[in-house]
Amino acid sequence: MVDRRAFLGGLGAALLASRLPLRAEASPRITLLHTNDTHSHLEPLASGALAGRGGIARRAGLVKRLRAQGGNLLLLDAGDVFQGTPYFNRFRGLLDYKLMSMAGYDAGTLGNHDFDAGIEGLLAALEEASFPMLNCNFSWKGAPRLAERIRPWTVKAFHGLKVGLTGVGVEFRGLVFPKNHAGVEWRDPVAPLKGVVEYLRTVEKVDLVVVLSHLGHDHHGEAIDDLNLARLVPDIDVIIGGHTHTFLEAPVQIGSTRIFQVGYGGVNLGRMDFTLGPMGRVIACGSAAIPLVEPMG
Amino acid sequence: MLFPALLLSALLALAPRTDLERGLPVSVSADAPEDPAVAQALAPSTAIIRQEFSQVLTQASDRIPRGRLGEENLLGYWVADLMRERAGRCLGRPVVFAFINSGGLRADLQAGPLKVSDIFELMPFDNELVVTEYTGRELLHLLRGGLIKKAGEPCSGVLVSLQGTPEHPLLSATWLQGGPIDPEATVLIATTDYLLASGDGLPTRGRSKTVIPTGLQIRQILLEACSELGKQGQPLPCPAPGRYRFAPGMREALLERRITW
Repeated sequence: MVDRRAFLGGLGAALLASRLPLRAEASPRITLLHTNDTHSHLEPLASGALAGRGGIARRAGLVKRLRAQGGNLLLLDAGDVFQGTPYFNRFRGLLDYKLMSMAGYDAGTLGNHDFDAGIEGLLAALEEASFPMLNCNFSWKGAPRLAERIRPWTVKAFHGLKVGLTGVGVEFRGLVFPKNHAGVEWRDPVAPLKGVVEYLRTVEKVDLVVVLSHLGHDHHGEAIDDLNLARLVPDIDVIIGGHTHTFLEAPVQIGSTRIFQVGYGGVNLGRMDFTLGPMGRVIACGSAAIPLVEPMG
Repeated sequence: MLFPALLLSALLALAPRTDLERGLPVSVSADAPEDPAVAQALAPSTAIIRQEFSQVLTQASDRIPRGRLGEENLLGYWVADLMRERAGRCLGRPVVFAFINSGGLRADLQAGPLKVSDIFELMPFDNELVVTEYTGRELLHLLRGGLIKKAGEPCSGVLVSLQGTPEHPLLSATWLQGGPIDPEATVLIATTDYLLASGDGLPTRGRSKTVIPTGLQIRQILLEACSELGKQGQPLPCPAPGRYRFAPGMREALLERRITW
């Protein structure tokens, strides 16, 4: 939940720093839209309590409408795009990535089920993805062709704001058929992620660090999860989570890290807005700021 | 100029805010307009899916649920029963036990027409039926693992009982046909190649290295069973509960991880 005092303080300081008259670009903003565990639900869910919700065409329409409002926006996914409906059995993930590319996804990461077609199947599907696939804690030594396709991090630069993005994946043991991840090994994400975050901050000098995580929200101490990751790796602004299909009503905050996960099947689109606050650090903010600030510029 | 601006920002911060402004999920509901280009790109594939996966196999007389954590997994019972029966038929020998992980069953079956797509959504994985050897002790160890992980994983061929207290749990199991499980006896059990290889957090690896493949996908077994019922004009019944029995408070203790094993 966005803290009102931080919001007010941040916005007030941003206004002061901008030296009036107020201009929207004096306090750059970024909107993060995100999904997780869409599981080949390209159509709205057909049955169950969430029947009628979701669908890639509706999601793309919603994103298009939000993009049309102007402003900086990233559309992100936290993994497990594959497996769950006959669309995956029939099209092996190629259709999922093709339509996600059309919907304008900017980056994604790999979940355990994204290995369900094996390494060759994943490589074939990735041919349809026009967006980067991010992961920093898998070792790709035995799968060099896949290594060429996966990036440890990427940077998205906007006017006055740089966003660093990376991804982390869940342990394969007990979750992925060994033959399906042949040549790819899991490593504990804490050390590699610390290195990437430090690099993004000090070398790339990004303003916002976003981790796409398929670790799961809360494993109650039995395995590394998003809550622990926020405690163990400092300097992350946002963890966009997946794997546990957790329906959060709002982002959870651990220290200065916001963690969000929005269920499964594409029934929800997560949204978080950030602006540059005091000392050049990003703060979460309400999207109502821009419409009122812009006309005064 | 500064004061009005700060006043404005203060008013803005204190004003009621919509869900969007708070950083909340946005429901992708039926009133969200579609992106025409994406809808158009999806349409031919949807036509293929409709053509290939819409065949009605039979009727489900009732909803067959997986159950929430701590509830019996009736859908899993149906799948495990079929696995045991088909494994026995393949080998020409009795296969006395079958188990599957609840995480491998991805959707409930709803009452009414049962289509090919429903079976694919229930069992999207291409996992195959395999048979291996367990001792009775290994079988009990597996049942205990399922209780620890999910307060009981779906199985076929045994009745499981957890009595005693959280401090002194008493786990026992009997064969469905009656009689205790001999810890030293070796029996044939059916499971999936995936579970045998990865475990899904369960102690699935017995001492025996013998793995007998059947060449049958679990999904194909389910499809054929439903199709056979349809040909006979019979609905798919929901399996009865009662394979796991708990002393008062023990189910809650399992869910709260208060059992001292």
